[in-house]
Amino acid sequence: MTATHRIILCDGTACINSGARKLTALLREQLAGHGLSDRVTIGLSGCLGMCEKGPIMVVNPGYTIYGGLVESDIPEIVEEHLVNGHPIARLAIQEDHLYNRFFRVFGDAKFFGKQMRITLRNCGIIDPENIDDYLSLRGYEALAKAITDLTPEQVIAEVEKSGLRGRGGAGFPTGRKWKLTAAEKATPKYVICNADEGDPGAFMDRSAIEGDPHTIVEGMAIGGYAVGAKTGVVYIRAEYPLAIQRIKKAIEDARAHGLLGENILGSGFSFDIEIRLGAGAFVCGEETALIHSVEGARGMPRPRPPYPAAVGLFGRPTLINNVETWANIPVIILDGANWFRTVGTENSKGTKVFALAGKVVNTGLIEVPMGTTLREIIYDVGGGIPFGKSFKAVQTGGPSGGCLPAPYLDTPIDYESLAKAGSIMGSGGMIVIDEDSCMVDVARFFLEFTQDESCGKCTPCREGTKRMLEILVRITEGKGQPGDMEKLERLGGMIKKASLCGLGQSAPNAVLSTIKNFREEYEEHINEKKCRAKACKSLIRYEITEKCIGCGACRRVCAAGAISGSAKSRHVIDQDKCIRCGMCFTACKVEAIAKV
Amino acid sequence: MPTPLELIKKKRAEAVSRIIGKGYLSTKRVYVGMATCEIAAGSKDVMEVFQKAISRGLTDVYLSQKGCAGRCNLEPTVEVIEQGKNPVKYGRVDKERAQQIIERHLKNGQVIQEWVID
Repeated sequence: MTATHRIILCDGTACINSGARKLTALLREQLAGHGLSDRVTIGLSGCLGMCEKGPIMVVNPGYTIYGGLVESDIPEIVEEHLVNGHPIARLAIQEDHLYNRFFRVFGDAKFFGKQMRITLRNCGIIDPENIDDYLSLRGYEALAKAITDLTPEQVIAEVEKSGLRGRGGAGFPTGRKWKLTAAEKATPKYVICNADEGDPGAFMDRSAIEGDPHTIVEGMAIGGYAVGAKTGVVYIRAEYPLAIQRIKKAIEDARAHGLLGENILGSGFSFDIEIRLGAGAFVCGEETALIHSVEGARGMPRPRPPYPAAVGLFGRPTLINNVETWANIPVIILDGANWFRTVGTENSKGTKVFALAGKVVNTGLIEVPMGTTLREIIYDVGGGIPFGKSFKAVQTGGPSGGCLPAPYLDTPIDYESLAKAGSIMGSGGMIVIDEDSCMVDVARFFLEFTQDESCGKCTPCREGTKRMLEILVRITEGKGQPGDMEKLERLGGMIKKASLCGLGQSAPNAVLSTIKNFREEYEEHINEKKCRAKACKSLIRYEITEKCIGCGACRRVCAAGAISGSAKSRHVIDQDKCIRCGMCFTACKVEAIAKV
Repeated sequence: MPTPLELIKKKRAEAVSRIIGKGYLSTKRVYVGMATCEIAAGSKDVMEVFQKAISRGLTDVYLSQKGCAGRCNLEPTVEVIEQGKNPVKYGRVDKERAQQIIERHLKNGQVIQEWVID
């Protein structure tokens, strides 16, 4: 039978402490008693951000929020609301947070249960190319509120109080950055949106801009008002044509509505935004390299200080924030810093967006409150590892991050906890690795990327990553030597210490963290010439077992002509000719080919 | 002289009435995912199927594009939203499924349960 109602119960810590789980049990009992178990489904959500009013229950359709529930309320909700169809006004609470709108549409799906959409609040529910859609959901109200009711100092104080930290990865307190830029005397000042997303497998910024470009425009305009800048620049990579098209249209539409340009909404405040396209260099995500690129120079970093807040674009004070950071700003201004602070952990407030990819059932773009554990993300949101395989590691923070094995699964997501575990928050790449992947090979993949993207300015990064990569390639080819791991560790330590920018300082992380957490895999490769995941081509061979029925499927796909045998009899692989491409392994219908 | 806050509220009211003018209050609202990822999975074709149906006389349906909701492995996604009912979210919608959604769900009010994302 199709469910008529879907109930979400907040399963955040505060609600559990005020008795949410008891209510859940009681609700199930009551539903069964009324014969409604089939018609009403129950889901649990992560913290809904209304802790002081817990326990919280949301009834769909209608998104009626009930709060402060006690056990005697449950029979009334079941009878009045679910059976008779009359929502109970006495128990309903009016919470018009911006993020609620997304959950009116998606709140009943399990995938979104543990999520909380603050920055992606409009992604997937509005037409991104229609400014009316954005305006109808209180769009640009935060900007209007800022320029009507708040002084620039008050805007900065609100951002500072919210506890928001830079979402590009480093986690610098956003409010402090704004304060520093505002305090500079030199003019003109600039505001930059860093949309140079370069981590392999990451697509947070692209989706955010494609789904809700006006949020970025509004956030930047508020930033401009706060620090005293009249010009904003969106730096976005040219590989994102649709995102560019949509942010361009958003800027034009905002201009046409008097929300950008001279004298915005008659307030006397003027601000406009232009777009600069990046050619897709990873290093240009580093703020000083990005600024050089906008200026038309080669994208290379320079030493800091001076920080861009003092000496930035064209030598002027510049406020530079990541896409996701900007998207938080309208929410902080409208819903208030006090509310924003209720979401997240002590030192990391709000939510974080992750591009969940790799060996996980539900790959996708997710946004979870800070403090959610890796286990909750991978198993509750991501649905676990497909094909019954076992979890091996999770890689956070893209090529600059580290690989964390199973013992770290209960690590809560926040800047400090991830750093302590040996990885980083990064900008939001999250790749799940299962037993079929070789950790030495994973480290090699990431180092190959950073080595290729090194701008070449600092010798340790330019030469050091190259030497490290050579050693890793050697190990995966079965030519590893005793002492290789120590050499990698020494080189890695040097590169981290002696490089100018984040790229070099973090490039060895993938290697160092895998040596730390998967030392035995390195040892097997070097000493026994063995790859336990059977992923390193040079260390495996294919053999045909007695299961072979002699169908010839493997022989026909073998590009190297290494397989021979007559019809209906067991075939053999000539190991000298075999190039270990694995085509026969995939082609065999009776699983007669073994990787050994 | 109205304040910026008053002006933006006026703009919102105007925006809402423009959206309503485009048929937002139709019985059913259909949203098709149109981010790069969705388009790569084939959502442009899906959008076309809905557009064609409307131009050929399917009434009381408000069609809109939307950004990515984050369900990468189930794209393209399509939502059918009706006042007072649970929003229905379909996954892996291709041309064929889109046609079925029009025939069965939009015309006959029958939710196609096996394609619904949970």
